[in-house]
Amino acid sequence: MNSLVAQYSRPAFRNEGFSEREQDEFSQITPPLSLRFAMPPIANPSSFLRAVTDDHSNPNCPIKLAHGTTTLAFRFQGGIIVATDSRASAGDWIASQTVKKVIEINNCLLGTMAGGAADCQYWLAYLGMQCRLHELRHKRRISVAAASKILSNLVYSYKGMGLSMGTMCAGVTPQEGPALYYIDSDGTRLAGNLFCVGSGQTFAYGVLDAEYHYDLSEEDALELGRRSILAATHRDAFSGGFINLYHVKEDGWVKHGFNDTNPIFWKTKLEKGEFSNVTSELV
Amino acid sequence: MLNANSPLASGPSYSFATPPNQTSTNIKQHSFNPYTDNGGSTLGITGDDFAILAGDTRSTSGYNINTRYAPKVFKIGEDDGTGESAHIVLSVVGFAADGNALKERLNAIVKMYRYQHGKPMSVKACAQRLSTILYGKRFFPYYVHAILGGLDEEGKGALYSYDPVGSYEREQCRAAGAAASLIMPFLDNQVNFKNQYIPGSGEGHALEARKATPLPRAEVEQLVRDAFTSAVERHIEVGDGLQMLVVTKNGIEEIYDPLKKD
Amino acid sequence: MNHLPQAWGRPRNAILGAYNPSILQPSGPKAHTTSPIVTGTSVLAVKFKDGVVIAADNLASYGSLARFTDVKRLRTFNRRTVVGFGGDVSDMQYLDRLLLSLDIEENYGSSGHDLNALNLHTYLAKVMYKRRSDINPLWNQLLVAGLDGLDQPFLSSVDLLGTTFSSPTLATGFGAHLAQPLLRKVVDDEAKVGSVTREQATNAVRECMKVLFYRDARSLDKYSIAVITKDGVELKEDEELENQSWAFAEMIKGYGTQTV
Repeated sequence: MNSLVAQYSRPAFRNEGFSEREQDEFSQITPPLSLRFAMPPIANPSSFLRAVTDDHSNPNCPIKLAHGTTTLAFRFQGGIIVATDSRASAGDWIASQTVKKVIEINNCLLGTMAGGAADCQYWLAYLGMQCRLHELRHKRRISVAAASKILSNLVYSYKGMGLSMGTMCAGVTPQEGPALYYIDSDGTRLAGNLFCVGSGQTFAYGVLDAEYHYDLSEEDALELGRRSILAATHRDAFSGGFINLYHVKEDGWVKHGFNDTNPIFWKTKLEKGEFSNVTSELV
Repeated sequence: MLNANSPLASGPSYSFATPPNQTSTNIKQHSFNPYTDNGGSTLGITGDDFAILAGDTRSTSGYNINTRYAPKVFKIGEDDGTGESAHIVLSVVGFAADGNALKERLNAIVKMYRYQHGKPMSVKACAQRLSTILYGKRFFPYYVHAILGGLDEEGKGALYSYDPVGSYEREQCRAAGAAASLIMPFLDNQVNFKNQYIPGSGEGHALEARKATPLPRAEVEQLVRDAFTSAVERHIEVGDGLQMLVVTKNGIEEIYDPLKKD
Repeated sequence: MNHLPQAWGRPRNAILGAYNPSILQPSGPKAHTTSPIVTGTSVLAVKFKDGVVIAADNLASYGSLARFTDVKRLRTFNRRTVVGFGGDVSDMQYLDRLLLSLDIEENYGSSGHDLNALNLHTYLAKVMYKRRSDINPLWNQLLVAGLDGLDQPFLSSVDLLGTTFSSPTLATGFGAHLAQPLLRKVVDDEAKVGSVTREQATNAVRECMKVLFYRDARSLDKYSIAVITKDGVELKEDEELENQSWAFAEMIKGYGTQTV
């Protein structure tokens, strides 16, 4: 009743422009922790978002978001190998060849990026924050299982809203050993030995499944990760750029380079005789 | 109460193509599209001790030119009207009203930061904050491609580029906007020396690739001019004027060069 | 922007592909009016060395019907600024009430600093952008003409999406196609504003109103014109086009295959 009185006892244009609260939020120097996102004030925000950003169902959509990928991670006796390509495409356009698709959540947890680049970057950074809070509250590192569940519960609460991410959480903890989880924006969360995610996943699986053993040596495991991504960049148009390689151990992760695929490809071909489908003749 | 139009009630939506839900009535309703594209292009290049952000100054609606001078590159965090207190630059291209709103928001935040902390915001912090601002509108995006420039803690040129919802990356160079597809390959070749090889360094596959090194300022300025004069020749939404903001340790310098007005 | 207000705010097929109906569906608890009904056509304005000239005709159309022939689309604010409205007339009248309340409020608590054209334009741009962000737009394109804080000529535009831009000459609607090129012949550059006299600017605007009347089917030969200088606003609301010449009409030999 009060709101009714308020509504009619003063002119409608009193509410014109931004409210004080909105203006305060605009100049807040720290981002809000409450996870309140601006929604288009219409009946069906998600179909609105699809119409303006989903370049798959509408190739002419005005706002193209960065997409596309091959990422993989697998467990072996020496820890976990995480490898990705580095290409981001927006429609047909290669938006970047130098994307860091391995996200360092903290010094012993890694996440990978497939799907919406911003979704992965933002939510894995948010996960990093939650992991740190867990450490402060409980005086010990969070388990990979718990960390991945924070993420999967979070994305599940946004289900149907248009988030797009396929990510892997990799870490080694004393209680779990090497632990690897796959989480996607549908809310799926799976534990496993080996995952490949993204448009080039099938090509990576092809190489990875053929050569994979749990007892692989560290050197062989790194080479297998690299070779699987190379295969994917060779056959998947939406993958390419650089190979980003990480090794996760109990005392933290180690980075093994961010290397251009092109020289690696020619080295693999010329020195090992693979990729015989490609000619090495320079005409 | 569950809204009948919420995604939960109308079933899941998929990232792949499905026909849009048709309403039972066959009334063709035109509705309001809150976005438009005002054209134009921006680009940024960094060097050892400077960062340059540049943009053309044409603003378009469809085939009309709204104005020949609408800046797309802005100083962030200036509060004395002279621009001397600013140390960060932002370029926005896409939907100009969103770009303007974004610029004003970041500007307010960088100023508030200085008042509250008594020191200027670092470019790295500003870059992260810009990402969260953009992501805060994940479900109703700012239709802009932003590039942020400045000097990092070591005094080196820093450049961050963004997609409309806030994924970002530090880079050496980046072109955005209407002519990005014309300018970016040029920059790959001229700034990062992509597909350049050292003559006589070997035969066939042994030919050695030329390593990218930071370029001197005069050379970068000329690259920017060349990129834009070329883009003007081949893109209708680019032209009229070229505005460059150069960040060095001495502050921000503004350079304006005319471009073709046809 | 298309010259028809009915087409404003619609996605352009050339850029966005065919219109995607899933952007907004008519169902839902809150449906705003998403199309203009009674509309005004072009507004023109030119800067000159001491101020700005702005003009708009007095017609409000209902589709193709010339419905109201005595609608004033120029509104003074503060005796220092003029706002010209193109697009929906009901939204124009709403904005008129909004500006009235703003004026009263500003004068009531005023400390001698009244709003200049630049301030007013900033305010209107925020209102328009907020409305577009609420998907409840005011279906207008506005020109704000006057003097800024340094008493320099000020002319700027804001439309239903909140897009703003400023130029020595501006025209909305059909005028953006037909009048803007003619006006740019008078001043094509901010630097040249200082050499344009009041007479040159006024004559150019009057000439453009005539050209628009020849070719814009939603225009009228009665119009309002205002000149804003440091001395205030001179607003004339009952002007008529003079020295019309329809001689060019004889050259038009029908349409399509008809040649005689």
